[in-house]
Amino acid sequence: MPEAGEASKRRVRTTLTRLLLLLLLASMSGNPLLADPAEPADVQVLAPGWNEIEFEPPEAGSYQLPPIGMAGNGQVLSPDGEETTLHTLMGDKVVVLSFIYSSCSDANGCPLATHVLEKLQDQLLEDPSQGKGVRFISLSFDPVQDTPEVMKRYGRPYISGDFDWHFLTTSGPHELEPILESYGQSIVRDPNAEEGEAGSISHILRVFLVDRHLRIRNIFSASYLHADTMLNDILTLQMEPLQAHALQGPGDDKDGYETREYQTRAQSLERRKGVPASLWSSEFEPPLGLPPIPTPAGNPLTQEKIDLGRLLFFDRRLSHNNTFSCAMCHVPEQGFTSNELAMAVGIEGRTVRRNSPTIYNVAYLERLFHDGRESSLEQQIWGPLLAHNEMGNPSVGLVMEQIRSIPGYPPRFEQAFPGQVISMETLGQALSSYQRVLVSANSAFDRWYYGEEEDAMTAEQRAGFQLFTGGAGCSGCHLVGTEWALFTDNQLHNTGIGYQRSMSKTPESTRVQIAPGEMITVRGDIVADASEPRPNDLGLYEITEDPDDRWKYRTPTLRNIALTAPYMHDGSLSSLEDVIAFYNRGGIDNELRDPLIRPLGLNDAEVAQLLAFLEALTGDNVDTLVADAFTVPVGNTGSY
Amino acid sequence: MPLELLHSSLRKGRYFCLSFVLASVAALPVTVAADETCMSPYMAKIVGQEDYVYVWTLGSEGVGDEQDKLVTVDVNPASPSYGKVINSLSVGGRNEAHHSGLTDDRHYLWAGGLDTNKIFIFDVHTDPARPTLYKTIDNFVKSSGGVVGPHTTYALPGRMMLTGLSNDKDHGGRTALVEYTNTGDYVATHWMPTDQDLGGAVKTGNFADGYGYDVRALPRRNVMITSSFTGWNNYMMNLGKLMGDPEAMKRFGNTVVVWDLHTRKPKKIFDVPGAPLEIRCAWGPHNDYCFTTTALTSKIWLIYEDDDGEWQAKAVADIGDATKIPLPVDISISADDSLLWVDTWNDGMARLFDISDPFKPVEIQQTKIGAQINMTSQSWDGKRVYFTSSLLANWDKVEAPEGEDLQYFKSYTWDGKKLHHEFTIDFLAENLGLPHQMRFGAYSLYGKNHPNVAASGVDGGNANSGGH
Repeated sequence: MPEAGEASKRRVRTTLTRLLLLLLLASMSGNPLLADPAEPADVQVLAPGWNEIEFEPPEAGSYQLPPIGMAGNGQVLSPDGEETTLHTLMGDKVVVLSFIYSSCSDANGCPLATHVLEKLQDQLLEDPSQGKGVRFISLSFDPVQDTPEVMKRYGRPYISGDFDWHFLTTSGPHELEPILESYGQSIVRDPNAEEGEAGSISHILRVFLVDRHLRIRNIFSASYLHADTMLNDILTLQMEPLQAHALQGPGDDKDGYETREYQTRAQSLERRKGVPASLWSSEFEPPLGLPPIPTPAGNPLTQEKIDLGRLLFFDRRLSHNNTFSCAMCHVPEQGFTSNELAMAVGIEGRTVRRNSPTIYNVAYLERLFHDGRESSLEQQIWGPLLAHNEMGNPSVGLVMEQIRSIPGYPPRFEQAFPGQVISMETLGQALSSYQRVLVSANSAFDRWYYGEEEDAMTAEQRAGFQLFTGGAGCSGCHLVGTEWALFTDNQLHNTGIGYQRSMSKTPESTRVQIAPGEMITVRGDIVADASEPRPNDLGLYEITEDPDDRWKYRTPTLRNIALTAPYMHDGSLSSLEDVIAFYNRGGIDNELRDPLIRPLGLNDAEVAQLLAFLEALTGDNVDTLVADAFTVPVGNTGSY
Repeated sequence: MPLELLHSSLRKGRYFCLSFVLASVAALPVTVAADETCMSPYMAKIVGQEDYVYVWTLGSEGVGDEQDKLVTVDVNPASPSYGKVINSLSVGGRNEAHHSGLTDDRHYLWAGGLDTNKIFIFDVHTDPARPTLYKTIDNFVKSSGGVVGPHTTYALPGRMMLTGLSNDKDHGGRTALVEYTNTGDYVATHWMPTDQDLGGAVKTGNFADGYGYDVRALPRRNVMITSSFTGWNNYMMNLGKLMGDPEAMKRFGNTVVVWDLHTRKPKKIFDVPGAPLEIRCAWGPHNDYCFTTTALTSKIWLIYEDDDGEWQAKAVADIGDATKIPLPVDISISADDSLLWVDTWNDGMARLFDISDPFKPVEIQQTKIGAQINMTSQSWDGKRVYFTSSLLANWDKVEAPEGEDLQYFKSYTWDGKKLHHEFTIDFLAENLGLPHQMRFGAYSLYGKNHPNVAASGVDGGNANSGGH
């Protein structure tokens, strides 16, 4: 709570400011940048935010603020010159984000925003329980003039007590432009500005209200910006139940289940709601670290194809008994794979002998399936659609008939493929189009390596990268290029996992978890009694029948690898630590083990460094892609 | 006082149990065990000789017509077709047939499919010997808002309360209760409490996993009790594969929830680790407790109201040797609350516990029934006990040791000391499939006479007592 003296000082300052502004406005007639030259110079009308509100604002909590989009991220500088990101300053509090520049002289521009925020700050400070949960960010779009020092000076008079208000800038246009673009802040700079000065900057004033899940919940422009309505919006958000469904990880977190101290952290399915995102546009640029999306000539990307493919991806009616969609094995919040199963389970519970691979960045894979038997995404769909143990459709024709019989599809197919029938070809083109745009990069690694941002990775992660490309030899198969990195050589290799599965004897006993912190050892014959015959798996050999290809499996990409446990073609390694330990041992020795795989002799510190590096490969847009996936209706009998 | 059809006492609502107990104590022998006690207290009961057992049966690849079916077995010893399958109604598909439940007026039998989520509503009153398919609900997932695996279909007045096992977002264990009208119209979904949304319930321990399995009501105490099993990914998976998948083995339920029956709001969540399954509530008017057993950790748990009116949960007995995974499955409480049958699937044993002190159950009897065992149902007068073998299509054993039955319906009589085998129907030899839930039918429920049996009073005949 500001002291009485401080508050009255500020009221005086505000009044003076207003008087000054009025004088300023009066003197600004004829300024070509601020007044319409065709009209007589007039006193500018003050925006409502300067005055008392002229209507009764709706009561907090009596209305809803549906999410408008995800708040973009970017590299910014604090007043002390420290590098940070916008997202670092979001997520723990409700955030009010405005764009300003310190030399702005438009009364209904930056001064308005800052004035309203000041008023809002006062109101929030009256109730600490409200105030503590809010942060203001005022970000300059003039990095030339507004250095951190300037922003510090500019902002100091406005911040009251310990209220959380950040006046930020960027280190240059290179950092600023992506931020402006993601917030729709196009700016027009004064073409007549002096060298080294920004001059006036024209922009549409927008202030953004961002919730604790990084979702934009309201946007205010000059006519709408008022402390009273903003206060009620903030209160409305704070009244919302604590969390939306987490965007990463299965719905109940089983971390620690091996211990007696395990506690559930189960998510509510009713809260599994998201925000639609634009996944692609005709001006789409791949994120830093990836090349343009490879697209076959016969199937260029269009928004309609992507939207249709997205709908189909989540439709359980594409399976013979209406229980399986692509998304049942490629669950969005589980890395577009399954974190809860080592190997997949198909229609009627039929055993699948391999782990579901991720759909993230599948566009860049030249070989599809673990044995690399398919090369085209358009064709790949028929594997799962027709496999007896996956979606179980008895024929291509029946799949097409099913789709034609669902009223929602024919019009959408017509939109996406005008004049064409619903066919094997168009189905493949639609589904592959959605999968193609699930690209994810601009990870911490990409920003450090391709973006040359020195601090994007920690020292430990950088050391991990040295090992990755050096002593540990990972990049021998998980390639890193000079301009982009797929982290896969698109080849197949024998690590020994497949060999062990085929050649080892049935274990005499198995450790089975029966409750949190409770494991028992079950005799082999009891497990055998309950088991079907274990399916064998020879990998690439099954395709080529070349004995040299026994137990060779495809090198996966390592992008987003932290999200796609469990690992290897059979899900036999539960964690990244287990994977590193596996390679540290030299995989599993066998006559056909790839020569690149050998014991590494890494010590604990080096293992930790490699692990840290792998965790730096998560793309910056995974939340956006998953939040978008949450909005797609699940197709069931009786759906559209 | 003669045995009477208690259909009319339904109208007395919650006094039903009390009046029944008063009536029965005067008329019946000391030990009265009844499957009918496993059913909803809102339901009409058969108190004399049951005429038929309806067996909800799973289709099996390679066996007969390979689809799910409702099999009618004649179990009235006075009937010329006693001990035979007299009807079989195939419904199409392998839906993972599992449990079934009658509406409160016993006109319809609701039978669910845990895989396809279809619910088949059979008319069992028009001709009890020949059930017909009245209606199929095929949009359960859409109507409920994403619930998968309709498991228990439990009678409430004019409505059915269904439990789910899974959901259509991730085929994991989070799920809900779903309410329908008796004639198959959707009413409401009640999501199981999770950490993120406890729904007003108190989380008493470490777990609020949001999983579900069975539901039972104790109307006199205004409570509903639910247990927790696992999601589609696990219950449809081959059992051996499941035991070898460490991640999947973490996905079992560890909770029992006590709900306010009237408001359908969860009140209290208990830690009951190891997949608590079937729930059976006691009948005595002052016996405010229910039993459940944990499939993985092999224990009997008591869910009870304490002297301060607070509901509590406590492990009260071990079942067999947990390291052998006996897997207790179906249980059955006697009408006088003194005995509890517990079937352990893996060793095919029907075990009898003395539960006269509910806090100290004692195993007093064990009978080997087959290579595997799941369901158990008892006649009203306690003299007849039936067993079936199937648990889940991909969990069931596929081979049996010499001399042991693999997939069967077996009829026994119980004399208070021992089970005596009466007849077995081998469901594989008969090309029917995998037998699961049993429910009884009787002409007496509908004021009809058995067409092939002379009406002959209390013993052995039907129980339509008319003007007694």
